[in-house]
Amino acid sequence: MITLPEFLSVALILGASLFLAWLTAPYLVRVYKRVPGRLDRVLNPVEKGVYKLAGVDEEHRMGWKEYFLAGLCVNIVQMVIAYLILVFQGSLPLNPQGFPGLSWDLAFNTVISFGTNTNLQHYAGEVTLSYLSQMTAIQFLQFTSAATGICMGVAMVRGFIVGSKDMGNFYVDFVRTLTRILIPFCLVAAVVLVALGVPQTLSGYTTVTTVEGASRSILVGPVASLVSIMQLGTNGGGYYGANAAYPFMNPSPLSDVFEIGLMLLLPTALIFVFGELLGKKRETRPILIGAYGLFIIDLGIAFIPNAPAVGQGIETRIGGFMSVFWTVVTTAVTTGSVNTTLSAMHPLVILAAFMGMLIQSTPGGKGVGLMYMVMYIVITVFIVGLMSGRTPEYLGIKITSRDVKLVMLAFLIHPIIILIPTVLAYASGAAAAIGVNGAPIGFTQILYEFTSAASNNGSDFLGTAANTPFFNVATAVVIFLGRYGPIAILMALGGSMIGRARTAVSGLRTDSITFSLVLIGSILILVVLTFFPFLVLGPIQSYFQGSVNGFG
Amino acid sequence: MDSAPGRRGRFSRLPPFTSQVLKDSVVRLSPFSLLSNPVMFIVEMTFLVVAAMAVYPQGFGSVASASKQTFYLEVAAILIITVWFSTLADALAEQQARNTASSLRRLETEVTSRKVIKQGWATDMVPTKSTDLRKGDLVLLEKGETIPIDAEVIEGIAMVDESLMTGESAPVRKAPGDSVIGGSRVVTDTLTVKVTANPGETFIDQMIHLVESSKRPKTPNEQAVTMVLLGLTAIFTIIIVSLLGLSITLHLGADLSVLIALYVCLLPTTIGALLPAIGLSGVSRLYANRIVAKSGKAVETAGDVDVILLDKTGTITVGNRQAIEFIPFEGHTVKEVGEASFLSSWYDDTPEGRSIIRLAYDSGYIPKELNSLELSKVYPFSATSRTSGVKMSRGLMLGLPKGIDSGGERRRFRRKAPEALEGLDENEPEVEVLKGAPDSMKSSLGAVPPLYDEVVNGVSGAGETPIVVSRNGSALGVIRLKDVLKEGIRDKVMAVKAMDIRPVMITGDQPLTAKSIASEVGIDEYVPQARPEVKFSIVQKEQKDSRIVAMIGDGTNDAPALAVADVGLAMSSGTEAAKEAANMVDLESNPAKVIEVVMLGKQLLMTRGAVTAFSIANDVAKYFAIVPVLFSAAIPQLNILGLGLESAVLSALIFNAIIIPMLIPLAMRGVSFKPSGTMSIFLRNVMVWGVGGVIVPFVGIKLIDLLISVI
Repeated sequence: MITLPEFLSVALILGASLFLAWLTAPYLVRVYKRVPGRLDRVLNPVEKGVYKLAGVDEEHRMGWKEYFLAGLCVNIVQMVIAYLILVFQGSLPLNPQGFPGLSWDLAFNTVISFGTNTNLQHYAGEVTLSYLSQMTAIQFLQFTSAATGICMGVAMVRGFIVGSKDMGNFYVDFVRTLTRILIPFCLVAAVVLVALGVPQTLSGYTTVTTVEGASRSILVGPVASLVSIMQLGTNGGGYYGANAAYPFMNPSPLSDVFEIGLMLLLPTALIFVFGELLGKKRETRPILIGAYGLFIIDLGIAFIPNAPAVGQGIETRIGGFMSVFWTVVTTAVTTGSVNTTLSAMHPLVILAAFMGMLIQSTPGGKGVGLMYMVMYIVITVFIVGLMSGRTPEYLGIKITSRDVKLVMLAFLIHPIIILIPTVLAYASGAAAAIGVNGAPIGFTQILYEFTSAASNNGSDFLGTAANTPFFNVATAVVIFLGRYGPIAILMALGGSMIGRARTAVSGLRTDSITFSLVLIGSILILVVLTFFPFLVLGPIQSYFQGSVNGFG
Repeated sequence: MDSAPGRRGRFSRLPPFTSQVLKDSVVRLSPFSLLSNPVMFIVEMTFLVVAAMAVYPQGFGSVASASKQTFYLEVAAILIITVWFSTLADALAEQQARNTASSLRRLETEVTSRKVIKQGWATDMVPTKSTDLRKGDLVLLEKGETIPIDAEVIEGIAMVDESLMTGESAPVRKAPGDSVIGGSRVVTDTLTVKVTANPGETFIDQMIHLVESSKRPKTPNEQAVTMVLLGLTAIFTIIIVSLLGLSITLHLGADLSVLIALYVCLLPTTIGALLPAIGLSGVSRLYANRIVAKSGKAVETAGDVDVILLDKTGTITVGNRQAIEFIPFEGHTVKEVGEASFLSSWYDDTPEGRSIIRLAYDSGYIPKELNSLELSKVYPFSATSRTSGVKMSRGLMLGLPKGIDSGGERRRFRRKAPEALEGLDENEPEVEVLKGAPDSMKSSLGAVPPLYDEVVNGVSGAGETPIVVSRNGSALGVIRLKDVLKEGIRDKVMAVKAMDIRPVMITGDQPLTAKSIASEVGIDEYVPQARPEVKFSIVQKEQKDSRIVAMIGDGTNDAPALAVADVGLAMSSGTEAAKEAANMVDLESNPAKVIEVVMLGKQLLMTRGAVTAFSIANDVAKYFAIVPVLFSAAIPQLNILGLGLESAVLSALIFNAIIIPMLIPLAMRGVSFKPSGTMSIFLRNVMVWGVGGVIVPFVGIKLIDLLISVI
């Protein structure tokens, strides 16, 4: 169970995050509505220069297809560039440690993983990647993938706005997201992190002699800048293999709290952006209540066990409580960074982590979590809303069979890309090849791997052990489909809302508390129905078998 | 308020379980006829697999065991029974639809009638079957003949028996311009009618097509529900296939039959089985209320209505206003007003006109000019001037006036009033008596008397209709006409308002009269002094504001509005143009039924939603019944219901099957509901069908398990 001070600190951190997100939202709205502001004097020339250089027509408007394809192409080009850097890092500068290039499958996995905001890592950064790779391939993709996610979410919302005619312009949104949100926010965050003791240097690893006389390398690098975008962009890919459990990425409880806040900031702010862009602030309500309601349920599950695990693998620096809290948050917003090893966690904490990744909108990755929540709302409005005796409608738009088809398709992607590869991993012997069996603990690891990949989370049990061609390729494919499949379908949903007739009188009020609670119930039922037997085979079974922290 | 529109006495019964239904339900078990219902098709396929397991378990390797043959047989039996329950629901709904269709067909008996063919001056009569008649043909109908097809009266006045359609036993008077429905019978006199619809194209035919066609088009809402069902089916298929794969590769030892049982329990079988029946019986229920729908979509749209346009006359009031008082203006007497009213109403054959004469006669105000009426010039009522009256000239008194028609009342009055026969006043060579609506009369008056508006407004303010009477251009006074409210209309209006629907009253009355009646029945919005065309502009305006509008209409000038309204209910007594434009026709010609149509539309959507939500919510309990069996070795703790292993599977499957016939009556009658706000209906249904849907199967499965263990 949770003690009162712990409860209060959870409440305080969540409250502060909500408050900051609420403060940030109007600024984000101004960025996407292109409202003139004080930053224009500095940034307008920069952005105009970029548009000119890239040959972008600033005033061009895009439909959902063009918008999505523009984003997809930009991402793919970036991945190709990153791929080349990773494969050839051995012959490229800024490699004081002299690391060789990555294997084709690891590089393939890594670029897709980072290009899609997943950051599943089958390598340990500190012994694999050069400074150049960290700063260009890795950090660059962390910025662009985060920006892509936000843009897609915002574009989909535009489809729902009354009287909207298009989804905006991807290139403009993308550039403005980088120049006005991610880069400035990260600058501030990086400075704070440096102040909190996170290193930022290009001086190379220092070798020191410890008091015992042994020789040790101090693995420093441009860490603070990477941590800031890793958390703010809900990326999760760390500088070090141990991620935020590594002291240089997360030196103290204070930095821990700060990094948790960074993770929650943008996904939560985008929920407020939804209502503000629509001009119906009350419609923020079901999304906010839904997201945070489910998040609190996850937290509740994670905090059921008496001792949320301070055992082998738990960072004593941060403590069991903050480790559990971080784990739930990082899966709730699909960041996937970890401040402890998952293997040390109680099965119920793992179950809570699964729930966060399977629901994907608690509040989910920035932009994408919002899209998923709209998907859940449309399903719920349709199935449950019929019982109000009217044709179900959302935001005054009648839900047609095409809308239902789209949301069901989007929902269907997840079970397909999680369950089929899990079976394949066992059937092909790939799991056995890395020493993972089908017992509850092993099964949890494999299921977690693909769940994390599908939901673009990135936390995992397997880590470098999964650096095999099967897992590299399989997870890369899952990541790619799990990212672009639902985005494409939900963009189509948003795009199809343009120009649709709206009813003036709404029968079922989606902005009511009643609906928000029904939404929570309906999401739980849908997700539990889909994954229950598999969760039983994994964490639930190990819970009943009495494992306390036995996922090693 | 009759909260469940489908539950009207005579038609609420389910169709009897006949051998025809039984036969039909068995025939429908053929996989080919199940193809249109993918969920049930899959269940039948799983039946084949489990049946094969029962016969030859060796062929299934590790996922079946020879010792469980009896169990496989039991599972297979329940599976096929599940499918049969679904075809049974279909067959019952089909039977209900067939009953509806055959009762509709009775309205279309084939008769031979005389077609009139005019060639120059000559007129020919050709005996023609009703199926050979075409739009525009003229038909002569004599007493006792059946009207072959929908038509419009051209010549003659007769009483027509429409009881077959409307259930109303009293014959209805039909005069030129009125429309007559095919199947009704002429009981007096002779009519010449012009055919207005080709055979097979009447609204009755459209309804028959709707309920009978085997390839009934799915309504948009049905299509969307089907999409949910397909999505869920796909999800559960992936789950089961993955579980099977894991079970084999990880040697979990799960039995294929148990996996299949889980699969079938998870599939949305309940809604899958009942979906066709729900939609079909909705249309049948509508017909039970004597309303003929031309498409299933219109019925659903009715559930979405935001605004209902209600004609005051016929919907809110019974239609006949009664004269109750004569009020003189300053300088005139009551007698003057009464006599002038008498004169002006002599040729006014409306119920109002008759009531004015009755009131004048009863009060003894019998005009001396009565004799001159025969030679008077009649100004019939016109919708534009909204006045009527007579003009008489002096010196042309030739005996007693004769009534225009056979109405005996006036002759009686005259006979009893010989002392009144004094002729016209010598000082007044001409007498022109007019009556009409106060605002229209104002323009025809030489001088508007003082307090004109006060008197008029006093009457309309009390919810009554003032009629101003003038004699030779000077206003004498006002006739008070009182409206009589329809029985139960207030409750219906309240129900409509409770459901967040805006009723708007349309009336030709004065604003004050309109306001008073509107507030008497509880309507906040009304359009006074409305001409028939106003409906069209109201419908357009509301639709422009994105509202869904329902309206009723009977006249040709209602047709444009009926055509654009989302739900247009025409009266069968109305003109063909109106019936053609509307998407529903009320055979009983009771305009207040538009409210019931809306309730029925809501009920239809609600029923579909309730069964869908219930079906999905049930899955939670079924998981808890079967998954422990799947992994019984590993996690005994999961068996929270404490069920036996094999009996848990059987119980869940039996529950899954038996819930279908248990919900058939609900599917066919519809979910009952009390008219209230959308959100409170929603909340109530979520509690009953959603939360209830989670809890009920836990109880049900446990009970069935207990029963099995006793046996």
